[in-house]
Amino acid sequence: MTLLLGLFLGAVFGAILQLAGASSYTKIIGTLRLRDFTIMKLIMTAIGVGLIGVHVLDAVGVAHMKVKDLYLPGIVIAGLIFGVGFAVTGYCPGTALAAAAEGKPDAWMTIVGGLCGALTFAFLWPDLESSLASLGEFGPITLHGSFGINGLLIALPLGVLCLWGAVKLPGVRAT
Amino acid sequence: MADDPAIRADMEGTVPMMPWWAGGLGIGLILLIAVALVQPIGVSTQYVVLDGVLLHAIFPDRVDESPYLKHASKGWTLATYEFLFVAGIPLGAFIAAAATRRLTGRVVPALWAQRFGPAPARRLGWSFVGGFLLLFGARFGGGCTSGHMISGVSQLAVSSFVFSTALFASAILTARWLYPERAER
Repeated sequence: MTLLLGLFLGAVFGAILQLAGASSYTKIIGTLRLRDFTIMKLIMTAIGVGLIGVHVLDAVGVAHMKVKDLYLPGIVIAGLIFGVGFAVTGYCPGTALAAAAEGKPDAWMTIVGGLCGALTFAFLWPDLESSLASLGEFGPITLHGSFGINGLLIALPLGVLCLWGAVKLPGVRAT
Repeated sequence: MADDPAIRADMEGTVPMMPWWAGGLGIGLILLIAVALVQPIGVSTQYVVLDGVLLHAIFPDRVDESPYLKHASKGWTLATYEFLFVAGIPLGAFIAAAATRRLTGRVVPALWAQRFGPAPARRLGWSFVGGFLLLFGARFGGGCTSGHMISGVSQLAVSSFVFSTALFASAILTARWLYPERAER
């Protein structure tokens, strides 16, 4: 049952990515060149809904949270590497799968490259774990946790801010 | 430029069928259902899982040497909620593209062709390199756009704010370097 739920949620997610233009090279590059904010508006809406909804679920005690560890120089370097790959391919690991299903061969190559990158990382991890990833370790910390307050106190205003920003951002900037 | 039929055809495919607010709302709701019933959404770990399962089928002894692979691909199986979620993405995207008659066979995006030429090998080669960096970075950081930006920021995870900021800074600078502003005028 849980397996089917996974397939169903994933399929709806993939269909939305495709229909909303997130699997388009042109749309992603337009976003990164700060010319076409459609995808930015979409992400901000998703995060706005997520912030408020997740913390409401958490307040009622039904949220399954899974917060990732912070290791400071490592996370920054990882984000920088990811960003270069994102701008070169125009896909992220999820949208590449959607784009590949549309029949785009460059997305197929992104996936093959991704499988190789993930494998390389898996074999380098023991060395990275004891060096870079062990610097500046803070564990799975959250913003509200480090202030010692209820998550909704931050999530609600921040979520509203994201939704407001999503509405206010222009769609396509005139050039 | 817009008269070039190849470019017009590609641009047509990039006019979204679904408005941004509906897409954002939909993805937000998927996250909420997932968080309420199972766990936050994520994609990039499953690249490692697929690597592990494939490698385990070919060189079982070699794979056992990597604690990271062993930990990621628990039981060397793809029949998990997490993997099926990721496998659903291309399935749903295929159905959506087919239903709206937007399946395509284009190799080189028109925008890329304008800047770097129409040679398929160049685009495919760089897609491989980009994909390598993408997943190397995602695994190093512990997540990708779904896991860190959408799930992580929604949970107010500090690591996700840091990862997303570094990601956008680097992606915007790289895009600016690949497509210099003056080239337009």
